[in-house]
Amino acid sequence: MTTDKVFLSASGLSKSFDSVQAVNDISFSIERQEIFGLLGPNGAGKTTTIRMLSTVLEPDAGDVEIGSRSALREAGEVRKIIGVCPQEIALYEELSAIDNLVFFGRMAGLGGKEAKEAARANLELVGLLERGRDAVRKFSGGMKRRVNIVVALMSRPQLLFLDEPTVGIDPQSRNHIFDTVLGLRDEGMTVLYTTHYMEEADRLCDRIGIIDGGSMIALGSPDELKASLDQDGDVTLEEVFLNMTGRSLRD
Amino acid sequence: MLLPLFIAFTELKRYLADRVALAFSLALPIVMFALMYGAFGGEPSFSATANFVDLDNGPLSRELLDRVGAVEGMDVRLYDSNEADQALGRSRILTAFVIPAGFSRDLESGKPVSISMRRRGHGGGEGQIAAAIVAASAQEIAGGLQTRASAAAALGGGVSMERIEAAVEKLGGGGPPVVVVERGGEESGNVLFGMVAGVLTMFLMFAVTLNAQSMVIERLNGTLERLMTTRLSVNQLFAGKFLAATARAALQALILLSLAVAVMRIAGPIEFIQAVVFSLLFAAAVSSIGLVLAGFARTRDQATWGAVFLTMGMTIFSGAFVPFESGPMEVISRFTLNRPAMDALHSILSGSGGLADQWLQAAILAAVTLVGLAAARALFRTT
Ligand SMILES: Nc1ncnc2c1ncn2[C@@H]1O[C@H](COP(=O)(O)OP(=O)(O)OP(=O)(O)O)[C@@H](O)[C@H]1O
Ligand SMILES: [Mg+2]
Repeated sequence: MTTDKVFLSASGLSKSFDSVQAVNDISFSIERQEIFGLLGPNGAGKTTTIRMLSTVLEPDAGDVEIGSRSALREAGEVRKIIGVCPQEIALYEELSAIDNLVFFGRMAGLGGKEAKEAARANLELVGLLERGRDAVRKFSGGMKRRVNIVVALMSRPQLLFLDEPTVGIDPQSRNHIFDTVLGLRDEGMTVLYTTHYMEEADRLCDRIGIIDGGSMIALGSPDELKASLDQDGDVTLEEVFLNMTGRSLRD
Repeated sequence: MLLPLFIAFTELKRYLADRVALAFSLALPIVMFALMYGAFGGEPSFSATANFVDLDNGPLSRELLDRVGAVEGMDVRLYDSNEADQALGRSRILTAFVIPAGFSRDLESGKPVSISMRRRGHGGGEGQIAAAIVAASAQEIAGGLQTRASAAAALGGGVSMERIEAAVEKLGGGGPPVVVVERGGEESGNVLFGMVAGVLTMFLMFAVTLNAQSMVIERLNGTLERLMTTRLSVNQLFAGKFLAATARAALQALILLSLAVAVMRIAGPIEFIQAVVFSLLFAAAVSSIGLVLAGFARTRDQATWGAVFLTMGMTIFSGAFVPFESGPMEVISRFTLNRPAMDALHSILSGSGGLADQWLQAAILAAVTLVGLAAARALFRTT
């Protein structure tokens, strides 16, 4: 898939930590304006893959190209066009939500006024504008999650990485976030999304990659994946997932 | 280029929003300053009580009591013989001076007299000092009598008392020939300079090395990694963290020095400004050490204990609270980071040397900063 529609391509990515082979020779690509779902059980290697794609972790082998730039050799250029929402909440607890957003916005290259405006707009997006001046420390878990997501939007990225963004978020906010992601995609954004909620992936993602034990074991649209299990596609994505990754518990 | 500055600015904001950090780095040293001031500031440097048993009760014994009582910081209390023995027996007092009967008469006639000192144990430091003052006052009285006698002899017999007094006056016998004048409690001032320098350097060092803890937390909670997905380069992030810690320490130094100067009046505006400037150098040096610690520490606890041991060790061995005049401890103290800073601050605050005289101490701190920064940069990790 090396058409000019491809925005991200990963080839032969591998990474091991001490004795653990976290990611093992993974290759896939994401097209521009696509929402790509990366699914897999706990410890499958999703976060490790995202960290390599987003330039913060150097792979043992393989290469990543984003917007026809190498994430390894031109990390600085790639960082200008990506936004990352990490799995863990990465915010400054003592600072207000606005200050967090402004800070990361400035670090992403926005000017002072620009950053403030973007911060307000993004807080509005997740319904937290009114609490914007409160220290993040005082937020509930779901509220922190929502701030964690919009920090990634501050730079108006072309490619957005969302690593389990909706954990612990109530259905109202979750639906709102889905709409937001879909809206951003319609405006031209490309999204890589990981989640353990299969109906969420089914609803949002154009294509899905399932990884297990560090390897990519399936790749395709939700319908294609369902059809691979049942000719009529009369199964849920969860059934497909469990069928492919087995029913045993993961670490 | 502005990004490191913005990091520093944001860190200052975080510092001011963190009540625990503020309490440790500002409130605690302020309390220590207050205690020190209570202990060493303002009050006269010396006060003691001389307890007397006056068995003579003559003009010269009363003059002795007056003279002793007139010494600044000395109080005189009279006991009768039994009372004094009881008080000594119960250790309520440690010394009592007994003026023997016939003291005035014998002294007048030129006979040797002795005042005995009854004491409990060695009589206590206060008793020793009181003894010296009593002896000196008695000497003065005897000396005055002797001068009068010599004057009378020189003037020949049958001279009126007035003329003798006038002659004595001329001979300069009117007052003691040597007086010790106390000036503005210089000794207590010295202790204060040392204490202020010691407390300031200790707290700056602790607060800034404790910064390693917040770096480790940032590494663990992912904010550092998150910053690495922005346009910020590692060098900019590192520079920002160094600037932030230095700015924080400098702010702390500014506040503490302002307080020390405003409340204790230990230095004038020139000395104050010079001390603040020098503190900036120390702040930079401890910041780089804090970053080295952050590079080594993998967990929050490691960072905390690293900061505690570093600060405790450096402070104790620098002689911040028990200064080492000489010997091996003094030599060891030269290898601490606090020592050059304390020496320089002491000298600047006391006015015995200006900022320009501290070039050696400044060079040491600058060298530590540069070496520390190089090491910290090599150890710097964002994940
Ligand atoms: N920094 C690290 N050091 C050592 N091992 C690591 C590290 N990061 C990840 N691993 C290991 O790599 C494997 C993949 O971890 P990763 O976090 O990528 O999984 P994941 O798919 O994101 O799982 P989850 O759904 O639980 O988030 C796991 O076995 C994990 O223990
Ligand atoms: Mg993960």
